[in-house]
Amino acid sequence: MKIIVAIKQVPSRDAQVRIAPSGNWIDETDLEWAMNEPDAHALEEALQLKEKHDGEVVVVSAGPERVAATIREALAKGADGAIHILCDDLGARDALGVAKLLAAAIQPEDPDLVLTGLQSEDLGLGQTGVILAELLGLPHATLILHVEKIETGIKVKRELEEGWFQSIEMPLPALVTMQSGGNKLRYSTLMGIKRAKTKDLRTVTAVELGVDAAPVVTLEQISAPKKQKSTQILTGSPKEAATALVEKLKTEARVL
Amino acid sequence: MMSLLPTLAEPRHFALWERALFVALAGASVYGFWQRFGPILSRVLDSKKDPGFRLFPAGKRVRQFVWEVLLQAKVIRERPLAGFAHALVFWAFCVFALVTLNHCAAIFGLAFLDPAGRVGRIYFAIAALFALACTVAIAGLFVRRFLIQPKWLGELSWESGLIALLIFTLMATYLAGFFVPAQANAVRALWWAHALTLLAFLPLIPHTKHLHLLLSPFSVFLSRGAFAQIPPLSGDEDFGLVTGRDLTRIVSLQAYSCVECGRCMEHCPANATGKELNPKEIILGLRGYLNEFGPKSEEPLLGKYASQQAAFECTTCGACEFQCPAGIEHVPILVGLRRGAVNTGAWNDAHGSKLFLALEKGSNALGLSTNERDRFIEKNALPLFDGTQEYCLWLGCMGAYDPRGREIVLALVRIMRHLRVTFGVLRKEKCSGDPVRRLGNDLLFQQLAESNLEALAQYRVKKIVAICPHCVRTIQEDWKVFGTPPEVEHHSEFLARHIEKLRVPPVPLLGPGKERIVFHDPCYLGRYRNVYDEPRQIAALAGKLVEAPRSRERSFCCGAGGGLAFLGEEKGDRVSHVRAAELAATGAGVIAAACPFCNTMFRDALAARGDGAPELMDIAQIAARGLSLEE
Repeated sequence: MKIIVAIKQVPSRDAQVRIAPSGNWIDETDLEWAMNEPDAHALEEALQLKEKHDGEVVVVSAGPERVAATIREALAKGADGAIHILCDDLGARDALGVAKLLAAAIQPEDPDLVLTGLQSEDLGLGQTGVILAELLGLPHATLILHVEKIETGIKVKRELEEGWFQSIEMPLPALVTMQSGGNKLRYSTLMGIKRAKTKDLRTVTAVELGVDAAPVVTLEQISAPKKQKSTQILTGSPKEAATALVEKLKTEARVL
Repeated sequence: MMSLLPTLAEPRHFALWERALFVALAGASVYGFWQRFGPILSRVLDSKKDPGFRLFPAGKRVRQFVWEVLLQAKVIRERPLAGFAHALVFWAFCVFALVTLNHCAAIFGLAFLDPAGRVGRIYFAIAALFALACTVAIAGLFVRRFLIQPKWLGELSWESGLIALLIFTLMATYLAGFFVPAQANAVRALWWAHALTLLAFLPLIPHTKHLHLLLSPFSVFLSRGAFAQIPPLSGDEDFGLVTGRDLTRIVSLQAYSCVECGRCMEHCPANATGKELNPKEIILGLRGYLNEFGPKSEEPLLGKYASQQAAFECTTCGACEFQCPAGIEHVPILVGLRRGAVNTGAWNDAHGSKLFLALEKGSNALGLSTNERDRFIEKNALPLFDGTQEYCLWLGCMGAYDPRGREIVLALVRIMRHLRVTFGVLRKEKCSGDPVRRLGNDLLFQQLAESNLEALAQYRVKKIVAICPHCVRTIQEDWKVFGTPPEVEHHSEFLARHIEKLRVPPVPLLGPGKERIVFHDPCYLGRYRNVYDEPRQIAALAGKLVEAPRSRERSFCCGAGGGLAFLGEEKGDRVSHVRAAELAATGAGVIAAACPFCNTMFRDALAARGDGAPELMDIAQIAARGLSLEE
């Protein structure tokens, strides 16, 4: 089973993000970068499928030089090969533009399954995976927590609202966008890093892929969110208040 | 005076058949010995060489050998009565070396000690004194093992009984020689009894734990050179102790040197609280592995002879290694086994993975945002280090993010300001890497160490003071593999140097019922760094010090070390609760700690004890009490 995982390098969770003077992008100097978390779960799911059913996992990522570090991390965790689409102007491309780049690199690989993250932690558009599926002509499913291989293709578990889930059977080849939290991420190992040195990492440029960049959607302005404070007093007995608190932490604050 | 000494009777002549018989039996004995010892020696020599092992300078090695082997210091100090008895047996053996040589030479007419001559009489008399002492000692040890049956000696061992009997017989047949007239046939009989006992003893040595007679002096001499010394990895294929092929000569030698005394087990906090880990069984497990699979095997070490679960229950407190009289170094072995599991991804622990991922993505072991640290610095107006101050105050993960750790930092900051000592905190700090180092994640440790060293060099940090003994140890010793760390010391050492200024004004007593203070020695400050007095000087500023039953180098771990503070709930009793109970039982009103991990562990343990539990304070907090509130 050949699985392609599209991953994006985003500013790390901890990063102090500042808006660039131009006002339509962030100031990238001094930022620390990390693998987009839903993409990390997509990678993990791919690796687990490979371990269960044999096959190959290739990661694809678009971005400048610095993206190579995240790609190597994916190789160290167990991916077999990687394609780095070198492009320095990712911020100026829209979701369609990025999806076109990815599609151009992925098409010749002829994968059985493409996994992407549900959305990125920086822009959070949630569109790139879906557009990519359309460009590749693949059936797709979004918000997936778990992928299981069955005889007729795959069976996926999809997260709905209010604690509900949906089960869908799909034929292969297909594309699935993955939600975080469906599986336990593995840590990078010394053995993984050493083996990664010998793995196939190919670099291509946007020009080589022959993809035009003119965006149909332009990002005009970015601004910092306005801080708001909201206080809720929970009434009732300690037990009732505690139950209500747990409910809110689960469904509203979403930290449990 | 010479005539007062009894004369040892020896046979004058031996028949040819006697000589032939002796040669044949001696040959069989040596053969029996070699048949078992030869393969053991090959297994040790066939093991991988130890990277980074240096024999010279040998001065320290010789001193250690004299102290631990010849003077039996460790043997006696940690178990005085039984230890002294063993020392007597050992010294008797040493004295008997010449006697035995002479005994065997006698049958060929080559005896060099004349029982009638001056030298001979004196020497045989000295040997007789030792023989007497040895007889009493071995009888006492026999009673201890077979009648008293201390639990750390394990199941009753018939071979120990046999050896004791042989030693007894050797001494008895020697001493009897003083009471038998020189011409009697009994003299010849005694000679043969002694000789046969010797020849029976020799092949038994490599078959039993008495192999330590030969090997433990080498183990002590060829030690790694420092306490809890974790060896560097060598080459691209070295991931730690994964299979037999990773066992090095030092490890193999130590595995065969174990005398099964159980001192390591006795002092192990995991073993004392019902966990699977037993340091003695880890070492004997390696011996069993070597006996069955050998040093070239691809069979995993964590399998038949050692369990992964046990290996990850270790807090790396070092009590085992510190106690071992045979020179076995347990900590590098346990960390080595962990490395083998973690560096290859074989360790699948939910909490462990969470810790590693937190440090892969972020800067601290608690997985919190660096904003939290920044806010702490800002809120308390801590100066940033800019190269002009004397000290870099290293916050560490606990000092920057943990509530108790922060209190300790702020107490130290108050004192440093009072002392007018300039300091600054780093704008950005990554975890020193202690938990991942002890858990065996070399990839992550290298990344953290290199990143930190680079930052420290960039800011031109010359001296660091830290509140956490784990940070201090890791910065000073473990980072050395990747660069040259700046000087680092623990805040107890810093405070002790300034103690005169801290006495004025005097630190008030901490409250009614709090006159007596018990200090808990952190593992990484005491055993690892040999600092026992400085923190006591600080604690003693505010009251009268009392000692816990297990203190100083015998201190009982709080349970947080070895990365365990970040792993899940432990099996069996909680180590921290056991230690807290021991500290509370001293009757002290205050428990003084010097490590943020100990502080956090005991905070929870004492809260579980409810009202009436002693108060818990760090030594920095005790010292800061004496400062005026306006500072």
